[in-house]
Amino acid sequence: MSIFRNMRSRQMRGLLLKEFREVWRDRRALGITLGFTLLFPLLMIGSGALSYKVMSETSFAVAVVGGEHAPLLEEQLRGGDLRIEPLQGGVPQELLQGKYDVVLQIGKNFAEDYRDLLSPTVYLYVDSADKSGGRGAQRVQEQLARLQQTIMQQRLAVRGIAAQTLSPWQLEVRDVSTPSSRGVAILGLMVPVLLIMGLMVCSTAPSIDTSAGERERMSVEILLQQPLSGWQVVVAKVLAVTSIAWFGALLSLAVLTISFSLLPLAEIGVRFSAGLSELIAMSIILLPLALLVAVLQILLSLRSRSFKDAQVQLSILQALPVTLLVGLKLSNIELDAPIWQLVPLVGQQQWLSALMAGEPISTRLALAGSVVTLSLVGLCILVGARALRRESLLGAT
Amino acid sequence: MIGFRGLLYGAVMLWGLLTTPMLISEEVTDLQDCYLDGWGQPLRCTRIPVGEGDAEVTLAVFVSPAMNKVQREPLYLLAGGPGQAASDLAPFLHKFRKINQNHAIVMVDRRGTGLSRSFDCGIDRDTPMDLEFISKALEKCYLQQANFANSLSSRQSVEDLERVRKHLNHQRISLWGGSWGTRTALLYQQWYPNSLKALVLDAVAPIDSKVFLSATAAEDALKILVRDCLSDVSCSKFGNWRTVLDQLLNDWNKSIAVDFPDPNTGKPMAHPMSRWVLQNAIRTALYSPEAAVQIPFAIQQAGLGNYYPLSGILGLFPDGTSGMSLGLTLSIACAEELSRLSEEEIAADIRGTFVGDAFFGIFESGCEVWPVPDRAYEQPELRKHPVLLISGEADPITPPAYAEKQLGYLVNKQHLVVSSGGHINSMRGCIPRLIKEFLESPEKKLEQTCITDINRPPFTAGIYGPAIEGPKRKHLEEKGL
Repeated sequence: MSIFRNMRSRQMRGLLLKEFREVWRDRRALGITLGFTLLFPLLMIGSGALSYKVMSETSFAVAVVGGEHAPLLEEQLRGGDLRIEPLQGGVPQELLQGKYDVVLQIGKNFAEDYRDLLSPTVYLYVDSADKSGGRGAQRVQEQLARLQQTIMQQRLAVRGIAAQTLSPWQLEVRDVSTPSSRGVAILGLMVPVLLIMGLMVCSTAPSIDTSAGERERMSVEILLQQPLSGWQVVVAKVLAVTSIAWFGALLSLAVLTISFSLLPLAEIGVRFSAGLSELIAMSIILLPLALLVAVLQILLSLRSRSFKDAQVQLSILQALPVTLLVGLKLSNIELDAPIWQLVPLVGQQQWLSALMAGEPISTRLALAGSVVTLSLVGLCILVGARALRRESLLGAT
Repeated sequence: MIGFRGLLYGAVMLWGLLTTPMLISEEVTDLQDCYLDGWGQPLRCTRIPVGEGDAEVTLAVFVSPAMNKVQREPLYLLAGGPGQAASDLAPFLHKFRKINQNHAIVMVDRRGTGLSRSFDCGIDRDTPMDLEFISKALEKCYLQQANFANSLSSRQSVEDLERVRKHLNHQRISLWGGSWGTRTALLYQQWYPNSLKALVLDAVAPIDSKVFLSATAAEDALKILVRDCLSDVSCSKFGNWRTVLDQLLNDWNKSIAVDFPDPNTGKPMAHPMSRWVLQNAIRTALYSPEAAVQIPFAIQQAGLGNYYPLSGILGLFPDGTSGMSLGLTLSIACAEELSRLSEEEIAADIRGTFVGDAFFGIFESGCEVWPVPDRAYEQPELRKHPVLLISGEADPITPPAYAEKQLGYLVNKQHLVVSSGGHINSMRGCIPRLIKEFLESPEKKLEQTCITDINRPPFTAGIYGPAIEGPKRKHLEEKGL
């Protein structure tokens, strides 16, 4: 138990104080932390809210060419989010180039063929490469389908046929999803990725500064002359870097939570159900990962040849977890087996998604997975301590 | 060792924090997942035993939880009849989806309906439409379950609702009532004013109204159909179909009744089509504007000897009365409604109407074999809850006049009248949105202009359906909506 005694020695306290002070006084690191954690979620949420607003408020300009041949059709399309403009003539392709989202073309003989039950054709022109064109066409089709339903039903009735004779059976779809599980499907990747990215981004600058930076400032030599073991130096640095990275991630979480409560998630049948206890659990789950990220980044920058080199290497590392998570998601690899929760990063992603949607997680697996992550942290600290003992490290410029 | 202990302590703390969310997500009540036909999402359901002895029932309760975490008061849906089950209203959840975001929606099958011991006396869609036969079946049913039949009442239904409210830990609730459900809602308001926040009453049957006298209301609805038909180019061509209807009903005879085509099989009906069934079929068609627009053509054709379109209208209501639990209907109707009607009132109501006594007669003969004790309501007292009333101008059973003239005891009310609307309009056009706005700020006056966009569907003009060539109505496009 000498580890804990050492941790509480006066030298160690002094070292921790120094490391924490250096990290938290670094304006650049703080700036990145605040910038990323506040702006990035806000930007994402803001664009989501904006696109929802556009989706729900847009109306579509529909040109009806030859509407005079089927006034009922034109009349029934009116209202809602369709702006109907009857035109005497015009080339549909040209009209689509102009202000119209959708062009409906009705032939001259429409009314006569309709009366003779000849099923006349209506042409719907749309530019499906144009976003509002596609949605506008869909709305027109829905409205037409509704009218068609009314007419079909009347045509059956006048022949004395019950409409149900055309439905050999009723299909009842029963969806077993819940608003929370749909939330996992939609936000389950985004939120953990955002939080993990927060950890990566916020710890990069202090990691480099505390290792490669200190080496370049030559202050690391003074540090190693102190009566402290190598692991103590690494631990102090890891804790200091973790503190700011974790703070950044927590800030992200807070911003995300507040933003979600402002978004009309219920409109898309989704619930963000994380309560205070879930948020606390999420924060705790992030801590081992924050430690792992910090220690890996410090190791990598210690290994690098120079400050610049460290920056290059770490910026590559930054993109790694996100790429991994997205890659796993896209490759459709089944990650449901509990063993996956023991894999750092994958485990954290799964717990964070579940907690965010207010779903329970297995405490045992979460603890076991966190222990795996923490063991890795321990291993890395030992590796770092050994590296510090190598004189060659200090010579690298 | 201190360090190790510290570590252990930390682990325990972590464990505690991680398990907290799971403890909180456990529900305090006994609700379980379940489904209802017509709505694909899972509901939370429970059963509550009520009543004693051979009148015991386990009430079926269905909750569609609110989507948002920050919630407003739950909305309870009360079905009509009496005899319709609230669980049959599950399809309403589609149109009430937005309301359901902030309000949990609760459906309780009242005693004797749906999944709460449906009191249907074995009368279903296969039962022949023969009053004598039905009367005999009912008489037998009453004798077998007299205690149950005598126990059912509006008062009891309101008490059960209050019990459900407490069981579900709901503070104040709002009620949506449709048709007879409005009566239950109004009585709940009288007896439990403190449990209630707001009322939405669609097709209102005020406490004093005599809703089983509906022949005049049906006649008035038909008159509005005549009016609308005359202003429509294609429909007005059918001439005086109203007189044809009278003639048809007058001349209805056994040979027509026997040959009448069955809309399901295309062959003659298994049981002859009695005159009173036809009268009721036309009355029922007036409930729904989609069906009503087919009446003029069907009558004109029947006048020419083609009964298929008339049969097609029957085919629009495949379940007939089987949606109702007739035992419960009679227990309530005989004790609370028919008991307060005088011979003069009945005669005045049916005089000069196409329905005549065809509708009332069902209940009159039913009540003869259903001797439940009379029950009277107390005089309604003044109530200040915000109330939203919705009426269809051409409703054949609860006309807008009920909402306008018989609800003096509601001092805080707004009334939406859907022109040419039938019975129950909550699902049409912008009305679901208006209901949501009302529930969110019940004291605010609603902007009603959007209901003028709710039109009658196009009239059947011929064998091809509606006329395609002319806007038959003056449409209201340029209102900036």
